[in-house]
Amino acid sequence: MSNASDPRDELVQHLPAMRAFALSLARNPATADDLVQDALVKAWDNLDKFEPGSNLRAWLFTILRNTYYSMHRKRRREVEDPEGLHAASMSEKPHHDGRLAMDDFRAAFVQLTDEQREALTLVGAEGFSYEEAAATCGCAVGTIKSRVNRARARLIELMHLDDEGDVVMTDSATLAVLTDKPLA
Amino acid sequence: MEEQIDENLRRVYAQATEEEVPERFLTLLEQLRKQPRKADKTPGGGEGDAS
Repeated sequence: MSNASDPRDELVQHLPAMRAFALSLARNPATADDLVQDALVKAWDNLDKFEPGSNLRAWLFTILRNTYYSMHRKRRREVEDPEGLHAASMSEKPHHDGRLAMDDFRAAFVQLTDEQREALTLVGAEGFSYEEAAATCGCAVGTIKSRVNRARARLIELMHLDDEGDVVMTDSATLAVLTDKPLA
Repeated sequence: MEEQIDENLRRVYAQATEEEVPERFLTLLEQLRKQPRKADKTPGGGEGDAS
């Protein structure tokens, strides 16, 4: 028996976070839970490769997102409810001075690209450092930063927070740089 | 504006993490535990080759 806690025993503690991260990827609760299920099996089978004492959550998240990209992602930029969500984002909304409705946020969030949702969730919601997020996503730190910035700018745009008419960061050069080809 | 984004992001995420974990995952972990271990670093485990 090892002295360190067995990662097998710790897995259950990471389930809520895994489900939340899976949901941000899959955008659909049923797919998200299937994703978590597949990732758990993979994680279990590969626990001998986990470095004891290292960041188990990041390791689990890596498996989750790899499973998403290889198995569960259907088409690029698929939106779960194109009619409803699109309509929600296109409607003219008055300025929100206070907090935004979470529904507005969700409707906008699902329209981000996979890589943007992933980066923003890891850094903004889970509190990963840029370096941890980059390691989890298998890309450069600068790439994560771009994706996070781009995700935020896009959300601001979709939710009309900056409703001056002009949109932020949409010149073709910027778009070309920020195409969402996954680096892997 | 970015604060609003982050605040909403965290609230939506918190909502997801505060949900009760469905039974299926706890059941899955139980089932996985019952499998014979492969390539365990520590010796021991009295189960024979189950497959």
